[in-house]
Amino acid sequence: MTSSTKFENYFHVFRDIIRAMHSSTSLKEVLNVVVTKSADVLDAKGALLRILNKETNQFDVRAAWGLGERYLSKGPVTTEKLLSDPTELHKVKIITDIWHAPRVEYPQEAWNEGIRMMIDVPLAVKEQMVGLIRIYITEQRGFTDDELDFIITVAEQCACIIQRVQLMENQQARFDHLASQMDKMSSLGRMAAGIAHEINNPLAGILLYSSNMSKKVSPESSLGEGLNIIIQETQRCKTIIQGLLEFARDREPQMVLANVNDIMEKALGIVDNEFRLRHVTKNVQLAGGMITTMLDGNQIEQVFINLLLNAVHAVEGNGIVTVKSAVDLEQEKVRVEISDNGCGVAENDIKKIFEPFYSTKNKGTGLGLAVSYGIVKNHQGDIRVFSMPGKITRFTVELPIRTQNFNTRGDHESAQHPGP
Amino acid sequence: MKALSILVLDDESVICDACRLVLGEKGHAVDHRLTGKSGLLAIERGTYDLILLDMKLPDMDGMEILKTVREKVPAACVIVMTGYSTMSNALQAMKLGAADYLAKPFTDDELVEAVEKLFAYQ
Repeated sequence: MTSSTKFENYFHVFRDIIRAMHSSTSLKEVLNVVVTKSADVLDAKGALLRILNKETNQFDVRAAWGLGERYLSKGPVTTEKLLSDPTELHKVKIITDIWHAPRVEYPQEAWNEGIRMMIDVPLAVKEQMVGLIRIYITEQRGFTDDELDFIITVAEQCACIIQRVQLMENQQARFDHLASQMDKMSSLGRMAAGIAHEINNPLAGILLYSSNMSKKVSPESSLGEGLNIIIQETQRCKTIIQGLLEFARDREPQMVLANVNDIMEKALGIVDNEFRLRHVTKNVQLAGGMITTMLDGNQIEQVFINLLLNAVHAVEGNGIVTVKSAVDLEQEKVRVEISDNGCGVAENDIKKIFEPFYSTKNKGTGLGLAVSYGIVKNHQGDIRVFSMPGKITRFTVELPIRTQNFNTRGDHESAQHPGP
Repeated sequence: MKALSILVLDDESVICDACRLVLGEKGHAVDHRLTGKSGLLAIERGTYDLILLDMKLPDMDGMEILKTVREKVPAACVIVMTGYSTMSNALQAMKLGAADYLAKPFTDDELVEAVEKLFAYQ
């Protein structure tokens, strides 16, 4: 092949790959074009494209061309073998001795396929390896700089598109999760409000009659005891329903400038009794110079009380509940953390922890955290949980620093960082 | 405390009956109506000291009834009852002139206390 036809050949292959990248929305199609064309242009037997699976930390085969089923059925490749030398991240590795190269895992199978030589082309973006193209050659030969340049350029383009698609897939997954979460929360809330209203009427009848009757019998009699139980249980239903309504009510926070430290002090005062009754130690480290921000003090207090009570109820003997607050000027947030050394949250439960009706407590309604979640989201804030069961469980509430209401953000930045 | 003439306006007859039982035992005369229309008619014709008003009736909105009562029979006290107990609901009712607020479900003691508090000095 003359050098000009060779160049033309490269050009066509390159054009095909770029075209696939731009016209196709499916990553699979692009990868298929990449393996087919790169094997073709190097007169190779076949090629294999692997992409790093971040969850398993293994390279999964995502596209293959020209190789037998027997060879392809071999499992994924572990990262250690391929990432052993980070300095070779952007270099093509030519393997001439397939029997003794540590990164060739199945030399016998490769030999049986007629393979005598391999070329590994890393797919790297910056310092991150996202995948690898391996090209299989049936005879020992040398490669020109043009050939290697070509293959590196293809790999660079390919790595970029893989990263772009992965980013899009991540965003899509995140969005889908959020959307379904919001949907679930709001429809549950609406349903709950309807049910709550319908149930309160019959409960009113039960409570009025039972409380009236209980006065007409001796409290020690079995009838009196029974009536008292009916009254108590009805009151319990009332509490549950109030929680439900609280959750369902999508009320706008009444924003005023307030200091989360003050609110936390108030919340700690309210649950103080619970701490003493259960002999739980309090470790309070509130940030000095806390910045005031727009928030609904009552709602945020409710969030803090919920989190504090959860923490107190999670710890047993020698329990410690730690409360911290901090200002993050860089991210324009105030942060409050409530952690405990109690039983913790199992990994499977973490995802469901903010869903309504989800509870691990015997007498829990499963609404405390759901209500808290709603309140913090209405403040355009964030609530997160981290848990290592038996060691530490930490709830973090972050609220944006605002000196004005959300819709009139105005010049709050200059108010925050006064000029020199 | 003097005996009162009370009208319970609620579409649930079990609640009307229960209120009649509890307040009747305290010596008050209790009537009831199940719809907004018949309730308003009774209020205009009768002379009630107190109206126990459910905020959600099948034919009329409780707030509307409350407004009409305040206009036409300003002497009558109104205690609002509702199963959808939210603070903003209560506030709105109080602004419209309700004397007190009972969140369903409530006990007999809560009912009697709410009524007696209003008429303690009469």
